[in-house]
Formats: sequence, C-alpha cells, structure tokens
Amino acid sequence: MGMRVTNEQADMAAEDAVKKLSDRFGSADVKATVEHHANAHKMAFVRAHVPAQHWTAVAKYLRFDAAVNYCSMVTGTHFPEGGADRGWEVVYHLMRQPVTNQAPNTNTVHVAESLRGDDIPLEYEVIITLPQTETPTVPSVQGIWVGADWNEKETWDLVGIRFEGHENMHRVLNPHDSPEGFHPLQKQHKIRYHDFNEMYDDAQGFGRKPTDEGRVK
Amino acid sequence: MAQMWITMGPQHPMTHGLWTLRVKVDGETVVDTEAELGYIHRGVEKIAESRDFTQITPYCDRLCYVSAMTWANSYIYAAEDLLEVEVPERAEYIRLIAAECQRLASHLMWLGAYGPDIGSLTLMTWCMRDREMFLDLLQELGGSRMHYNYPRVGGVKRDIPVGFADRLVAKVKLFEHRIDEYEMLLDESTIWLVRLQGVGYAKAEDMVNAGVSGPNIRAAGVNYDVRWAHPYSVYDQVDWEPAVEKPTSVKGADCYDRYRVRMEEMRQSCRMILDAIEKIPGGKNTNYANGDEMILAKAPTRAPEGATGFSHYECTRGASQFYIQGGGDGRGKNPYRLSIRSPMFITIPYVAKTMIGYKVADIPAIMGSFDPCIGETDR
Repeated sequence: MGMRVTNEQADMAAEDAVKKLSDRFGSADVKATVEHHANAHKMAFVRAHVPAQHWTAVAKYLRFDAAVNYCSMVTGTHFPEGGADRGWEVVYHLMRQPVTNQAPNTNTVHVAESLRGDDIPLEYEVIITLPQTETPTVPSVQGIWVGADWNEKETWDLVGIRFEGHENMHRVLNPHDSPEGFHPLQKQHKIRYHDFNEMYDDAQGFGRKPTDEGRVK
Repeated sequence: MAQMWITMGPQHPMTHGLWTLRVKVDGETVVDTEAELGYIHRGVEKIAESRDFTQITPYCDRLCYVSAMTWANSYIYAAEDLLEVEVPERAEYIRLIAAECQRLASHLMWLGAYGPDIGSLTLMTWCMRDREMFLDLLQELGGSRMHYNYPRVGGVKRDIPVGFADRLVAKVKLFEHRIDEYEMLLDESTIWLVRLQGVGYAKAEDMVNAGVSGPNIRAAGVNYDVRWAHPYSVYDQVDWEPAVEKPTSVKGADCYDRYRVRMEEMRQSCRMILDAIEKIPGGKNTNYANGDEMILAKAPTRAPEGATGFSHYECTRGASQFYIQGGGDGRGKNPYRLSIRSPMFITIPYVAKTMIGYKVADIPAIMGSFDPCIGETDR
C-alpha cells in the first residue's frame, strides 16, 4: 500500500516550527502562523511574514538551524493599488526535505508514517511585503540556497524586484537586450488583445501595432 | 593549450528543445559552462492574469508538451486550494490513472530521445511504438493526443468510457513485459553501459540545495517523493512504493542510476494503475454523465482578494508548483498573479555546472539523463 505523511505529523511539525521561529524572531516583528491548504488532504504549512531587513537572518536560521534545505519558488507581485505599505510582495516557498548523502551501495527508504522531528517534510511560505516604491529591494539568499539563484533571476527579470547582493544577475526569460526597466509582469504592462472588443474589431490583426513598438526588439 | 567557448544549441540534438549551452573547453575537457534559456518564453503567467480559472487549464497543458496531463493537474490542485473545492473520490482516481499514464508516456519519450543521444536508434522506434498505447488511452479521456484539457476545478471533464478499463489493463500488462525487453536490450549493451556508468555524478544534498527534485533525487538514494511527502490525490490508497536506486559511488548518482530509477518508476506506475482501476469508486465499467456529482463537484468561479492557492505536484521531471493569488479582474474571476515553478528551469543550470570536468562527448549523456523539457522551462 502507498503511504503518506499524516495530517497529525504535519500539524506537529508546523506547530513546532512556528514556536521556534516565534521564540527566536518574535521580537524582530516576524509573524509566523500554522495554516492549512484547502485542497486534497488539507496539509499544514508554516506561513511567516518577515520584514525585508531581517530576511537574511531568518533565512540563515532556516537553512542552518531548522534544516530547510530546499528553496523551491520565488514569486514577486506588483500591487500598484495596494496602498502605501504594500506596493510589492515577494513570496519564498521553502521546503524541508529528509534528503542526505548516501554511502555507496546503500539507500534511505523513508516510511512516511514513522518520520519524526526534523525528518517530517514541511513547507514554509515566507512573505516579504514592501512599501510602494520605484525600486523594490530584497536581500538575496543566493548564497544560502543555491536553488534561489535562478529563481531570483527570474523574479527580477519578470517582475523587477531587485535582489541586493545577488551575483551575476541577468535576463533569463526575456531577451538579453530588453530595455532597462522593462519587467513584463508589472501591472502597468497590458498584454496585447487583452480586450475582447479590440480583438474582434480587427480579427486579422492587420492594423495591429504593438504597444511596445520601438522599445523591444 | 588554448581554451575556447563552443556554443551547443539552440539547434542541437543534445538540447531536446530550444536552449543554448555554452561550453568552455580545454582540448576535450569541459572547464566551464553557461546555460541560456528563454527561447520559447510565451508569457503564460501574464496571459493567465486575463483568463478565468477554467480558461487557464489549456495553457497549463501546453507548458510541457510531453507531459500535459500532469501539468494541468498541477494547476488544478492550486486552483482548488484557492477556491476551496472538495473533489469527489472517483475524480481523484481518474486523475491518478490519467497522470500515471502520462508519466509512462513521458518517460517513454525521454527514453526514446535518450537512446539516439547514446547511439541506440532502436530505442527511439520501440519507445514511440509503446508510447502510442498510452496516447490512445489518454485520447479516450481527453479527446486529443497531446493537449487534453481534461481536469476541471472540482473534478474531471468526462468520465472514463465504457471498456476503457479493459483496454487500460491489457495495455499496461503488455507494457510491463516491454519494460523487461528494454532492460534486456540496454543492460547488456556495452555501449550503453560504458557511456552511462561513471559519468555525470550528482550528490543528493547538492541536488536538494540546488532545487533539483523528482526522479533525479531518487536516483541518488533517497525515496523522497511529493506523492507521499506533500500528499495529494489518493496515492495513499493504491499499491506502490517510490522507485529508489542505490548509487555505487560516494560521488552520488551517475547517468546509469538515473536511467535505472526511471525504468523502476515506470514499473511502479503500472502497478499503481492496475490497482487503482480495480479500486475506483462507482465501478470501472460505469460511465457517469458529464457534470455528474461523482466526477465533478460544484466550484465557485471567483476568489476573493487576499486568498492564495498553492500546489505541490510530482510531475514527470520533478516537483512542479503553482502559486495563485486571487482577486484579479472580473471581481475575482481571474487570478491576480499566477506563478509557476518549473523543475527543469532550476535543474538545467545545475546540470550545466555538473558537466565541468567531463569530456565534450559526455555532455549529451549527462544532459539527457536529467530529462530536460524546454516547454516547461521557458513557460
């Protein structure tokens, strides 16, 4: 039969992680809570709101003390109408995975139900909210998780979040000669034919002029 | 001897898609590499902001054109988290069967493309022959061979047709024998062994730190799998265990281990499908009407501002993830922001760095063993 991490295990791991995180960084305005997904098995995860200036310290703690060894995803979001305190948001999704190097000719076969302590896989969602600004900036964690490297490159390329201290930052999905300051997932950029009527007025696209004509090759 | 840069790609048999690997060589030895991606960036994340939650599914099909079903499922679980939908159990079983059929088809595509990399063209023809069986099965579900648009928020588009179960079981049982045939062909081929063994070592901890996931991790000796670690669907109710290898070196898994783990994973997928089709609630030879509550739950179409949805999914190449923020245009009908985590986008730069120290002729063997797919990489 198949196996899975039970809801009790995930709850236990998440509560433990939140308690440790709050004890250590509660005074630094880090707010951690246990949340549950609404899909599938409704597993628990840790959601933490971290101020940008403390992100490096929190990241180092997670990586080296809390066994969070996997930076899976970095999402940047632009909120032009989000108020003075919330112009941008950067969300890091991190995982704790029970993966270790193996001696030759051996392997580790985990049985999900019997995992305890730091071996229980756990998901972290770290949210960094930035005020309304032209230059949203977050400290880079490239040196802490190698996996953050290209995730951060992508987030800068598409959303325009600057990662302070990131080495070798360059375009990854957009062309290398894209104009400086062009980040297509910012909300002022509209996709062509986003409007229904516009599309049917000129279905063949003969009169079409790209909105970014002359700026993007 | 002078060092020089060689550009492999964007049109190169090694790349399995459109991307460029720039290699700095010293004679025959690779001393530095750089990956360049983005050739087929379609901007799916931006397009999704002007589509409603059902309309996004076909775009997610097209993220990876050899593994459309798993990517659409992956998106659907995130949308269900956002919209808070309970999925009927029969629909979960159908999704599981569909996803595992897709995994078989995708691994066959990988093996079929990897064979010519190594010099075994026979493999291509054999794998294409067997892949056809699973594409036919998926066509019965979704209506097309490549992009099925099959899952829906709250269930699936159509029930399994009458007679599907018998055809599925017959094909999967036949395919189990075919896996043995492949192994007889490959594991006794000197060329195959010489080119794969002792090449492209990658350690488990390095890979996790770099964000590599899926079969590539399991090849390095740990049975970590999203299907049990961050469970979704009904994988806990069917008979299977994660494929895992025993790497022979302290340097981690080599190309041969990654080949072995995918063969084993195909066996496990067969085992899962055969068990799931017997256990499916409502019977394997009944066909419920479209929209019946056995296969499709009612789902809201709007998500409030501030709501978020997230999904882990074991795609064929590793863990894919979707993160959706609700409250976009149309009073929440569209997502405000949809973010996609593609396993290969993270893996390709890592693999490029593992090639350092090997010979130029090893590059196709190393790159192919990680199963690159550029559709999902560039999104």
